[in-house]
Amino acid sequence: MLKFALKHMATRRAKLIMTALSVVITASVALLAYNISTQVSEGIVNTAAKYDIIIGPSGSATQLAMNTMFFTDKPLGTIPYSLVEELQNSGLVNDAIPFSMGDSYNAAPIVGTDAKLLEGKALSSGEMFSEPLEAVVGYAVARQYGLKPGNEIVTSHGLNQGGAAHAEHPLTVKGILKRTDTAYDNAVFTPVSTIWVLHDHEDEHEEGDTHEHEEEEDHEEHVEHDHAHEGQICAVLVRSTGFNAYSQLMNIYSGKSEYLIINPNTVLREVLDNVDLSRKIVYLLCVVILVMNLFVVSVIALLSLYDARKEIALMRLIGISMGSINRLYLIQNTLTGLVAMVLSLSFSHLCLMLIRDFVASMGIVLNAAHIYPMEWAILLVVFLLSVLPTVIATQRMAGKDGMSQL
Amino acid sequence: MITTKDLCMRFPDGSAIRYNDLCFENGQSYALLGASGCGKSTFLNLLAGVLTPDSGTVEIDGQNACTWSQRQKDDYRIRNIGYIFQDFKLLEDMTVADNINLLRLEGVDTSGIDGLLERLGILRLKKRRVRRLSGGEKQRVAIARALIKKPTLILADEPTGNLNYETGEAVVAQLIENAGSGTLIAVTHDDRLAPRFDHILDMNEIAHFEAGKEASERA
Repeated sequence: MLKFALKHMATRRAKLIMTALSVVITASVALLAYNISTQVSEGIVNTAAKYDIIIGPSGSATQLAMNTMFFTDKPLGTIPYSLVEELQNSGLVNDAIPFSMGDSYNAAPIVGTDAKLLEGKALSSGEMFSEPLEAVVGYAVARQYGLKPGNEIVTSHGLNQGGAAHAEHPLTVKGILKRTDTAYDNAVFTPVSTIWVLHDHEDEHEEGDTHEHEEEEDHEEHVEHDHAHEGQICAVLVRSTGFNAYSQLMNIYSGKSEYLIINPNTVLREVLDNVDLSRKIVYLLCVVILVMNLFVVSVIALLSLYDARKEIALMRLIGISMGSINRLYLIQNTLTGLVAMVLSLSFSHLCLMLIRDFVASMGIVLNAAHIYPMEWAILLVVFLLSVLPTVIATQRMAGKDGMSQL
Repeated sequence: MITTKDLCMRFPDGSAIRYNDLCFENGQSYALLGASGCGKSTFLNLLAGVLTPDSGTVEIDGQNACTWSQRQKDDYRIRNIGYIFQDFKLLEDMTVADNINLLRLEGVDTSGIDGLLERLGILRLKKRRVRRLSGGEKQRVAIARALIKKPTLILADEPTGNLNYETGEAVVAQLIENAGSGTLIAVTHDDRLAPRFDHILDMNEIAHFEAGKEASERA
């Protein structure tokens, strides 16, 4: 039966390929849209869950959260490093981790911090940084530029490519992070003191030039390249000792106008709530695509069956039972449906892999191998759509004699 | 043995064909002669259970086949009837072998396919698509498909219509040989081949055509 079904399929390959392609394209779009939107949302929430407080200079809460959690956007400004020591001595925190950002290596952000930021993240080679001008490189950055421990990298001024290079102070790669599928894969980590070294040096260069600019221009330049100079950082990431400590810290620092204190989880959930409409639109699109899929596949299947009606009638005339005919078409449509399912899943996840690097540059690393239960549900619907029309149509022909169908 | 009684088939335009009662014995061959449109093919379709008469009966070995379910008819046809259709009824996009092996779906043993195709002179065409065959070649494929299951009843509608006389004569001989102890009923236009059969039936005398009005009055 299977052998005959395959031979029979081969005689109708053009139609079957068209059917499978229509299913693959529409299902892939639906799978891709669902997977990306879900992974992005989950990635954002999971990343924010590690710290309960972030303190930075006053400004946008969203910008502070996105900058410190995903290394995107520009820092709000600077705050004194002494705040880290103040928090550590307060007895209210388990960890107070300094955070500085403002330079880049081939557009990958350089994050000035301490080793605690990388706690729980394993190194694939080398060791953790310990001295200024040492660096630990994220997985994607190392892979993209072929970096290994012992290599030197020259960072440049600003977060975009094309800034002035800090050629006099290259960073030595001490270690490479294992793949984390987070924004950490796309950044370079170094002691916060490295940032101070780089920018104290830079200030020496700029001092001779500043008198050539008007005061207003100097101010704009300063805002655009808001680096942490000696004794300054961009933010502090805090793990409080508990809910009471959290409340106390919130009370203390929300009262100080020079600081902005946020709960990153709350801020990012608000961001997600704001983009919830976008997600709903994506889901709506998925539904529209699936309905289109239903329509396209059903029409193609019914047209194929209409064509096959003469063939079925002919089989009936020579005595082939409806049971055998049903099984024959069921096998063919099941095979087509299964191939379409596998191709849809493969194609959507291949697309995920292809756009992974692009999305990673925005601080969100997609896991191309992750398949959600909803994706299986979408595929199941697609499969049923491939099979059911034929089953229904052949059943409708079952009680009729072959001659009346010719 | 097959017997027909008071067979009547009506058509959508209201016309009808009535047939005299007939009896076909096992081990005998029958040639049905008659003008085009006199109801020969319809008669074969009624015997095969492809069409259901509006009245009358077709009894096969004492059973009224007209009361069988579609499934019973299908089952009887695949097991016992080798039907050679006038227009062949082959799957055009499939090969000669696949058209015959299609019967395997119903458990028919097609292992003798090569010998049969050889006897019909079309073994070399076994893997060729039916679409690429001539009318005569298609006719022999249809004959092979009918004979492969060693049927007890062979119904042949113009089985030599696309063949030259010599080939037609050989094919008729093949059909009679294969019918063996079964029954062969063949429609033919070729008067020269008719004497090969045990019985010759003139369908012009057996089938009675009734126009729409006449048929409805009788009904």
